[in-house]
Amino acid sequence: MSAAPATGGPLSLVLAEVRAGTPTVAGIALRSGLDESVVRAAVDHLVRSGRIESRELSIGCPPSGCGGCASATDGAPGCGLPAPVPGRRPGLVTLTLSRR
Amino acid sequence: MATAEQQRPRVLDLLVPAPSVKACCHSGGGVGGGPEAPVVALVGAPNTGKSTLFNALTGARVTMGNWPGTTVEVSRGLWKTTTAAATCTCDECTCDDAEQRLDITLVDLPGAYSLDPHSPDEELTRQLLVGVPDDERPDLCVVACDASRLANSLYLVAQLRERRLPILVALTMVDVAAKRGITVDPATLSQALGCPVVAIDPRRRAGLEALAAAVRDGLGGPAPAPRPVPSTTDQLELDDDRFGWIAGAVAAGTSAPAEHARTFSDTVDRWVTAPVLGPLIFLGVMWLVFQITTAVAAPLQDLLDGLFAGPVSDGATWLLGSLGLGGSWVEGLVVDGLIAGVGMLLTFVPLMTLMFVLLALLEDSGYLARAAVVTDRLMRAIGLPGRAFLPLIVGFGCNVPAISATRILPSARQRVLTALLVPFTSCTARLTVFVMLGSVFFGPYAGTAVFAMYVVSIHLVVLAGLVLRRTLWRTMGTDPLIIDLPAYQVPTLRLTASVTWVRLKGFLQTASGIIVATVCAVWLFQSIPTQPGQAFGEVPVAQSAYGVAAQAITPVFAPAGFAQWQTTSALVVGFVAKEAVVSSWAQTYALEEPSGADPGSLGERVRSDFDASSGGHPVPAALAFMVFLLAYTPCVATLAAQWREIGPKWTLFGVAMQLATAWLLAVAVFQVGRLFW
Repeated sequence: MSAAPATGGPLSLVLAEVRAGTPTVAGIALRSGLDESVVRAAVDHLVRSGRIESRELSIGCPPSGCGGCASATDGAPGCGLPAPVPGRRPGLVTLTLSRR
Repeated sequence: MATAEQQRPRVLDLLVPAPSVKACCHSGGGVGGGPEAPVVALVGAPNTGKSTLFNALTGARVTMGNWPGTTVEVSRGLWKTTTAAATCTCDECTCDDAEQRLDITLVDLPGAYSLDPHSPDEELTRQLLVGVPDDERPDLCVVACDASRLANSLYLVAQLRERRLPILVALTMVDVAAKRGITVDPATLSQALGCPVVAIDPRRRAGLEALAAAVRDGLGGPAPAPRPVPSTTDQLELDDDRFGWIAGAVAAGTSAPAEHARTFSDTVDRWVTAPVLGPLIFLGVMWLVFQITTAVAAPLQDLLDGLFAGPVSDGATWLLGSLGLGGSWVEGLVVDGLIAGVGMLLTFVPLMTLMFVLLALLEDSGYLARAAVVTDRLMRAIGLPGRAFLPLIVGFGCNVPAISATRILPSARQRVLTALLVPFTSCTARLTVFVMLGSVFFGPYAGTAVFAMYVVSIHLVVLAGLVLRRTLWRTMGTDPLIIDLPAYQVPTLRLTASVTWVRLKGFLQTASGIIVATVCAVWLFQSIPTQPGQAFGEVPVAQSAYGVAAQAITPVFAPAGFAQWQTTSALVVGFVAKEAVVSSWAQTYALEEPSGADPGSLGERVRSDFDASSGGHPVPAALAFMVFLLAYTPCVATLAAQWREIGPKWTLFGVAMQLATAWLLAVAVFQVGRLFW
């Protein structure tokens, strides 16, 4: 993995780390020198602005129910459960760089 | 009919500022402060405590309604503030009260993260803040910012500070931030932001007086100079500048001491997600899961096996005999087929239950999220798409939904590659065969043997992925995986039980259907004679259509050490569904024995056959069989899913690849293994 460039603002640094494959928010914070809360806010902003896509993995149930489940097929969620489990905590989220 | 005057937007009325916005004891009353009352807009991102603050400031003096022409709800209310008499600066009154009142019209605008709208709510907020002429804007904006997630809240502040607007930051959730070890210094933050900052707790009504005083000061003074922004049209550069400003403000105005910031989860994560130790811990955890599963479930499995092989089979035989069906094909189908097959499946219930419980505990505790990091890092290191992690993990449960889950991958090439790799993940149906062979050939090391199959499975995925990436898809890029690791939590009994039950029920429903159908099909083929003079249902299995077909393909497996037709016939059945492998063995061996003879346990018969076919090397032959079973086509349902997702060409390519890989590996394992065992 290549290191993030030393120049650029926080968003550029976070994007560089995402491209370099740093897999956690804590890891990006550590490598970029940014505060973890700033990294989290930057990731949220990048998702909101469409520069990266966010999808929840099957370990947690999306708030929108099974219809919004990343692994749903033909109306059936990939986890095999008949419906979202009440009170299920959010699970893993994958973020994908968009072509922008 | 409403008049034109009545149709004028109510909130817009309120947002048209009064001629004088100076703090005055003569401001109006009612809901809203009257036409001359200053208008203060309350803005902020959703869930920052904005509405709680609005309710605390206005109490019951509130009206709510949709913004005309939209379904966006806007609240306005009367905020009664008091201040010292000396601050009243109007010319017309001669106030001499110790305290003077200033009524403010407070407008609760829809929650908005930024001035770049993504919804009608945000669009309205933007319109009312910056989309109207200067003299129609609110006199002051109070921006509610969540102190526990300050960086998320400050983007709107950054955008508002780029304009000549009087703004004030109300810090909410200070108590939540304090619990996380985050302290915010309002004075320093105020300097960094260039606008007043007041810490409040609207739920306890703390800080509201200070907020009122700051608002009155803001209404009386000039708007601060706008924050300079780079002259560029590049949105990323602009956003970068804003986030640089936010990062500076967060660094200046907040402090999170390292000893407080490092949580238990952080400490554990340092080890479990470490580049070298993380994968080792992951392997250790999974080994423990299989070791516990096989060791604890084995006695229960033996108990159930004895129950079905003994009392249940004997009872059914007696019952059929008393009905005059003893020795008939019905007895063969019911006792040797259905009871042997379904009974064998039921012996796996304790094992599957235990494994589902352990996996649910790992999942609910938050460890599987760490496993995702470890796995993803490994996959990226070898050039596989990071997001293929999900279908592959799902594949360890069942390959069919895993193939369908490849749809989450953005590129067609990644979908095809991942769908070709999924069959190499060891599904729970294969687990039943591994457990049985593990306990027959490896005794107390059965758990380790099963675990080894999972390690082989991971290596197969990796190696096959590498080969395909180096040959067919050299130009394919990779997608990153970023995970905000949740804190470790104590698993809940209700959730663990619920997930376990649902998965166990699903396994039993699927497996029982497949097994009953396969048992009937196997019985049918085992009843069809291949030589003249034999009657249907009264033919030795070896001379039945089933036995003859199996014998035809058996020589292919001689180099792998399991060239025994009883063994290879199970592989043919396993092509249909792996759940039926063990039951087909049970059925075949039961039919083979002459009535009344003691057939011995299924394990003993299988071991005896492996011994014979391998020339005295049953252990490497069994290992080779397990590897073949792991690597070749999982089941027809998986093929159907592949056919649907990646088309016939790639499906057939996958079948050929799986069979070739399985055969080569099995031969290699046996040939190398027999040098040692």
